[in-house]
Amino acid sequence: MSWRAEAVAIWAFAVRNLLMATRNVFFFFELLFWPIVGVVSIGLMTRFLELRSEATAFVLLGTIALSVVQVCQLEVAYAVLFDVWSKSIKHQFLAPIGVRHLTLGSWIVGMARGVVIFLILAVLGWWAFGVNVIAPGVGALLAFLAGCFLTAWIIGVGVCALITLFGNRAEAFAWASANLVLLLAGIYYPISVLPTPVAAVASLIPLTHFLDAYRAHYGFASEFSHPVVIGFGLAAAYALLAHLALMAAVRHARSSGLLLKMSE
Amino acid sequence: MLAIEARDVAKTFRAGWIRRRETVALRSVSLAVPRGAIVGVLGPNGAGKTTLLSIFATLLTPDRGSVTILGHDVVREAAALRRRLNMASGRPSFLWSLRVGEIVAFYGRLYGLHGATLARRVDELIETFELTTHRRAQYNELSTGLKQRLALAKALVNEPELLFLDEPTLGLDPDVSVRVRAHIRSLRRERGMTIVLTTHYMREAEELCDEIAFIKDGRILARGTADDLKRQIGLGDVIALRVEPPAPWLRNAPGVLRCADNDGWVRCTVDDAEKRLPELLRQLYAEGREVKSVQVKEPELEEVFVELAR
Repeated sequence: MSWRAEAVAIWAFAVRNLLMATRNVFFFFELLFWPIVGVVSIGLMTRFLELRSEATAFVLLGTIALSVVQVCQLEVAYAVLFDVWSKSIKHQFLAPIGVRHLTLGSWIVGMARGVVIFLILAVLGWWAFGVNVIAPGVGALLAFLAGCFLTAWIIGVGVCALITLFGNRAEAFAWASANLVLLLAGIYYPISVLPTPVAAVASLIPLTHFLDAYRAHYGFASEFSHPVVIGFGLAAAYALLAHLALMAAVRHARSSGLLLKMSE
Repeated sequence: MLAIEARDVAKTFRAGWIRRRETVALRSVSLAVPRGAIVGVLGPNGAGKTTLLSIFATLLTPDRGSVTILGHDVVREAAALRRRLNMASGRPSFLWSLRVGEIVAFYGRLYGLHGATLARRVDELIETFELTTHRRAQYNELSTGLKQRLALAKALVNEPELLFLDEPTLGLDPDVSVRVRAHIRSLRRERGMTIVLTTHYMREAEELCDEIAFIKDGRILARGTADDLKRQIGLGDVIALRVEPPAPWLRNAPGVLRCADNDGWVRCTVDDAEKRLPELLRQLYAEGREVKSVQVKEPELEEVFVELAR
């Protein structure tokens, strides 16, 4: 495939997801309602508990990261979910495209939505609770967002693989998977509070490292040496694994007939 | 030149983790489709028609056997092959919120079309399938007929050399079916496209297909032209006669398979009406009998279907 054909196929999925996002009311809830409710309720809780400003920043940064990851990973999962819901999945796998096109196209829209959510929540966090998310500097912020988007891509592609492998039964993973990250990656607490075996698992999640690196700028001692490097290293390894898993799942679906079962 | 060459294709679907269930969909199917032909795959529900089409369209991998499509192996060279084929179904389904033009454009992009080429192609297909007034309608607002026309438009977006149509006129109004069939014929006539279709409408198969393969329980039981199939099954032609006075010897005449009397008519099933009718008439006239009426009826493909499906 030429570079132009690659770009056109990726763009096809980006346009499709964008059009779907503008025409369905539940996207509004995903984009604005739930993230804002999350930041406001957690922010008010920090007030009630009379947390120091650093601790408030710690918790709210985690909340913002979770919202960004959740929205972006759902968008990646939509690469397959839209077609499963509309029973049209066979048409995209009939075309001369690879799984990279559908996941990357959806990821582009996911990142755009993630940036919009980040900006809204950042302004809200600063205005309502005095948390300045750009205080660590542009470089640190970009690394943090890149970490969030890579984590989202990995989870999203993993969800796509599970749906392609198990069909509609695996749909719940699309919403549940990000919450597992919430539990393990230290969204509301440092992972040092977790039991040692669980903390060991948490340290294998890229987002844990990106959150750790970003929070270090707010005065919290880093729990890892070179968290950004480790975070990107882990993300690259998982991204490759997730991509291979989705390819294998599509191959299996072609062999088991699930691709047809999930279509008209 | 063959567009499709399938040899001993077999496919079994397996389901269940604990209680394993197996459904044999195809057992050793062989089929050759010449380039530029329209070939129909007929058979009762669950016979394996859609499975066979899906294997040809690279959506399903066979368990056994080999399939070469347009010179490519359907498993090893699927990626190269997908560019050259497409498929439409009689029960189409696309993204509910996308508009007609957007759906065609989306699939066009998946085949590498972009910019002015894509816009031109989308316009052309929308016009061809009389979807212009519905261009901005969302998919879930379309009627069954419009959805099927959209499915055909989508299936032609890459100008395929080989087109698979799974019951293309299912549930359509008769006038729309006639137009769809005319369009299918024009695709072969004007573009030399090879078309493989499944259908439950015998008239459609007889009208469109150069060759028909009858499949049942995962096996091809008979194949050939509609006339070939009728001959293979041995249903025979029916000669109906009103003769005065009656001629009892008719049931024992050469070439007569069986005879039945009803309402003054004698209906004789013969091996070949063209050959037998002159002989019968000659003898009846020679005996001085009056032949008041004669009707000749060739067997319908539907009768072949019923016979084979039995």
